[in-house]
Amino acid sequence: MSKKSRKTDKGLETPKEIASRIHVMAEGIVGQIKKGQNPHFVTKQRGKGNVEFEEDKGIIELGDKETTRSFLNIAHTKKFLQTMLVTSQLYNYLSHDKTASIREIYYELKHTVGNTSENTFEDQSESDSCIVDLEHAVETIREKLNVHANPKGTLYGDITLVDKVHNNDKFNCLKLGRGGWSVMSRMEPNEIEIKDCDAKYALVIETSAMYERLIEEDFAKKHKAILVGTGGQAARGTRRLIFRLSHEQKLPIYTFTDGDPYGWYIYSVIKQGSMALAAHSNYMAVPDAKYIGMTIEDVKDYGLENVTEKMKPGDIKRAKEMMDYDWFKNKPWQDELKTAIDKKIRIEQQALANKSLEFVATEYLPKKIKNKEFLP
Amino acid sequence: MPEEKIITAEKLAEEFKEHSVAEFFKKNRQMLGLYGKVRTLTTIVHEYVTNSLDACEEARILPEIEVKIEELGEEYYVVTAKDNGPGLTHDTVGKALGQLLAGTKFHRLMQMRGQQGIGASGCTMLSQMTTGKPVKVITGTGRGKPFACEVTIDPKKNQAKVENLQELDKPFRGLMVQARFKDVIYRESSTGPLEYLRRTAIANPHAQVTFISPKGEKTTFNRTANYIPKLPVAQKPHPSGATVDDIITMGKASVARKVSSFLKSDFERVGDTAIEKIQKQVKFDLNKDPKQLSWDEAEQVVTAIKQVDFIAPSTEGLRPIGEERIKKSLESIVEPEFVFTLTRPPKVYAGGYPFEVEIGIAYGGKAGAGDNGTEEPEPKKGEEENATQKVMNGENQAKVEIMRFANRAPLLFDAGNCAITEAVHTVDWKRYGIRDLENIPLTIFINFVSVHVPYTGAGKQAITDEEEIMEELRLALMQCARQTAHYINTKRHEIENKMKRDMFYKYIPEIAGALNNITKADKKMMIDKLEYLVLTKLKLEKPDIEKEKDFEKKRQQLERIKKFKAELMGGDA
Repeated sequence: MSKKSRKTDKGLETPKEIASRIHVMAEGIVGQIKKGQNPHFVTKQRGKGNVEFEEDKGIIELGDKETTRSFLNIAHTKKFLQTMLVTSQLYNYLSHDKTASIREIYYELKHTVGNTSENTFEDQSESDSCIVDLEHAVETIREKLNVHANPKGTLYGDITLVDKVHNNDKFNCLKLGRGGWSVMSRMEPNEIEIKDCDAKYALVIETSAMYERLIEEDFAKKHKAILVGTGGQAARGTRRLIFRLSHEQKLPIYTFTDGDPYGWYIYSVIKQGSMALAAHSNYMAVPDAKYIGMTIEDVKDYGLENVTEKMKPGDIKRAKEMMDYDWFKNKPWQDELKTAIDKKIRIEQQALANKSLEFVATEYLPKKIKNKEFLP
Repeated sequence: MPEEKIITAEKLAEEFKEHSVAEFFKKNRQMLGLYGKVRTLTTIVHEYVTNSLDACEEARILPEIEVKIEELGEEYYVVTAKDNGPGLTHDTVGKALGQLLAGTKFHRLMQMRGQQGIGASGCTMLSQMTTGKPVKVITGTGRGKPFACEVTIDPKKNQAKVENLQELDKPFRGLMVQARFKDVIYRESSTGPLEYLRRTAIANPHAQVTFISPKGEKTTFNRTANYIPKLPVAQKPHPSGATVDDIITMGKASVARKVSSFLKSDFERVGDTAIEKIQKQVKFDLNKDPKQLSWDEAEQVVTAIKQVDFIAPSTEGLRPIGEERIKKSLESIVEPEFVFTLTRPPKVYAGGYPFEVEIGIAYGGKAGAGDNGTEEPEPKKGEEENATQKVMNGENQAKVEIMRFANRAPLLFDAGNCAITEAVHTVDWKRYGIRDLENIPLTIFINFVSVHVPYTGAGKQAITDEEEIMEELRLALMQCARQTAHYINTKRHEIENKMKRDMFYKYIPEIAGALNNITKADKKMMIDKLEYLVLTKLKLEKPDIEKEKDFEKKRQQLERIKKFKAELMGGDA
C-alpha cells in the first residue's frame, strides 16, 4: 500500500477525537477571556510568504510560520468572529455525525450581526478560509471536520471501488454507463476503497468534452487506461483520487490539458500541489505526474497552425509569472512557455478534432505515450 | 419787473426745495443703500430695527421686536415693524418718522449702530414716493393713552404731517410702524431681511426678534442674555487721527480761547507736556484764538502732533458684546456642535481710533451656509450624528458662512471688498487642520467694534483694510482657529474610538454564543469580560446610553476646551 508520511496520518482520527481538539481550543479561548486577556488562536500562515517548493520531494509545502488571530486587532476581529462561528458549527457536525458542504456552511452561518445591517459573511470565500484556519489550528484536514466541497470530477475505466459508508456498494467504473463514476469530495480510504484495478496508466483530462470523446472512442478498454475527468481545476477529492491511483496502484499519471496557462496550472497543481492547499501537498501532490499535451510543439507536428487561439494580455502575464515558478524552471518547460509567449498563441484539446474526431484516440495519445513524448 | 422777478425766484426756490427732497432720494440711492430691489427691502428693515434697538437700550428696556412683511402685489410689499420700546408722543411722532436728517447721530465719535442709511423718516419718504400712501403708526409710552395716526412728509417744508390721530383704549407701550413700498423684492437669500434679522439677533443677544415672512412663516430668535448693553458714550477724538480740516472746524466750534486750551479740552490725551512739545514745532503762539487758525497754522499743528508720543486713545467708548454672550447666542441661533468665541483687547488704528475685534467660530451641527447661501432645510433628528461623519469624509454640502458686523449691525453686502473677508481668506486654515475652508460647516462671526468704523464706501457695508485692522483680524482668527482645530481633532479621535468600540461590541455576543455552544461557559460572563477588555484597550469610559444622549458629554468637552483655552491665554480667560 501507500507509503505513509507524517501528514497522511491526519486521516486516521475519529470525529470524536477531532471534536475534543476543537473543545480544547475553545476552552483555551474561554480561559483567556476569563483572565481578561485578548482572546486569540494560532494558525499556520498561508499564502506566498509561507510556501516553499521542496525540490527533493518535488512538491509545494507550507512552511512553519505561524500567525495569531486575535479579537482586539481591528483588522482581525471580524475574522476572529467568523472563525468562532465556523468552529462552533463544525463542532455541531462532529457531535451529531453530520457532514455538510462548504457552501452549506456558508449559508447556515450567514446572518446579520446584532441589529446592524452587517452580515457575518459576505462571500463564501470568507467562510472557506475560516475552515482552512481551523484545519491548521486543530491540526487536521477538512475531510475530518466533516465538511466537503461540491464534488467535481469523474472516473472511468477498469477499476473496482467499495463505498464503505454506503451499504458497502461495490462497483466497477467501466460498467456505470458513459458518464463513469462521480468522484466524491471525500476520497479517504476509510470511505472509498480501491478493491481492484486493471490498467497501465491513468489519464487526467481537463475538459469534459475530451473525457467524453475518449469514452466514445473506447479508449479506456483499448489501451487499458483509467480516465479521470477534472472538469477544469481538479477538486480536492479528485486530486486525492489521482494521488491514490499513483501511490496505491502505482499507475503512471499522464495529464492532458489545453495548452494555455490555465491548463498548465491544472497540471502544476496535480503534480506539485497548490499554494492554497500547500499544507496538504504531502497527500495530494503527485510529483511523478507527466504532461502529455497540448504543447506548442503539437501545433507544428500536427499542422494545427490554423486552429490556435490568440493569448490575451492576461494569459501572457500569467505565463510569464509561471516561468518564474521554481518547478517550471527546467529547460523543456521554459522553452514551452517562452515559445507560447513569443507566438502569443494557445492551443485547446478540441483543436485536435481538426484532424478528425478519433484522431486523439487513435493517433495522438497512443503515439505520445508509446514514444514517451512528455513534458516533465 | 423786479418785483415779478423776486416772486419768481421765491417760487423757484420753493419748487427747488420740494424737488430736492425727492431728488435727494433718487440721486443718492446708492449712498443710502437703496439700490437693488432686494437690498432696498433689507435696508428698510434695518432702519426700523436699529431704531427700535437704540430706543429700547436708551430706555433700558429688553427689546422685543417683530417684523412682518406681506406681499400686496408684484414688487409691492407692506412692512410692519413693532417693538416694546419707550414709544412716541404726539409731539415726537412726526419728528421721528416724518422729518429727514433730524437724527442726532451725526458728527459724534460714539459707537452707534446707525450712522448710515436713511433713517425711519427716509422710509416714510420712500413709501410716499413709491405708493403715495402714508405710514400708519400705533404707539404708546405706557403713560396716558396710546394712539394711532398716519404720517406723511411735506417735501416743501421737510416737515411731518400727522393725520387721523385717534386715541386707543387698549393699553400699549412701544411703537408699531406699517409702511408700503413698491419696486422692492423679498428674497430668502443671504442678503434678504430674514438673514439680516437672524444676524441682528446673533449680535444682539439681549433682543427677542421675530419675523413673519410673506409666506406666513414665523421665525423667532430667542433672547439669550438678560442684560441691556451700557449706553455708548461720546468720546473726544485722539489727536493722532486729526486732520487739518478737523483742527480748523473744531477750532471754530470750540469754546476755548487759546489754541493750547482748545487742544487740551477738545482732544483726549493732550496734556501740558504735549502742548510744550507742539509749541516747539510750530511757528506761531499757541495762545492764539483757535477760531482764527489759518490753514497753514493748522497744518503745522497736525505735523507737530505726529512728533509727539501720545498715550493710546481711551477705549471706554467701546461696547463689545462679550465672549460668553456671543457664544450663547451662536449656540442658540446657529445650533452648531461647538462654538469658540474671543473678544480681543482693544487696539488702535490710523493712530487715533480705538477698535476691538470679536470672533466666534461655530462648527458642525447646523453651522455653515447651505448651497448658494440660501437657507438649509432642517436636518432631521438623528442625522446630526451622521453629519460629523460626513464632514470627515468631506461629504457634507455645508459651506463656510462669514458673518460680518460693525458695532453689532450686520454687514450683508460688498463682502468682496471687506477687510474681514480678506482676513478670513488670508489665514492659512490648513495649518489648523481645515483643509478646505469653503466646504466646511463653519460659521465665522466677526464683530468690528469702534467709535469710528472705516467703511470703504458710502454704502457702509465693507470695512477698509487698514494695516492694524487686518493684523488684528488675522490674529483673532488664528487664535480662534487653533481652538477649533483642537476641538475637531479631539472630536475625530473620540468618534473614531467610539466607532471601533461599537465594531468590537457588535461581535461580542456572537463570539460568546459560539464559545458557549462548544464549552458551555457562561455567556454573560464572557460578554462582560470582553466589553471591559475593549474599553480598557480603547481607553474609553463605560458607556451609558442615556448619558451619551444628553449634554453631559458635551459639557465635559467644553470644560476641557475651556481649560485648554485658559492655558493658551495665560490663565486669565
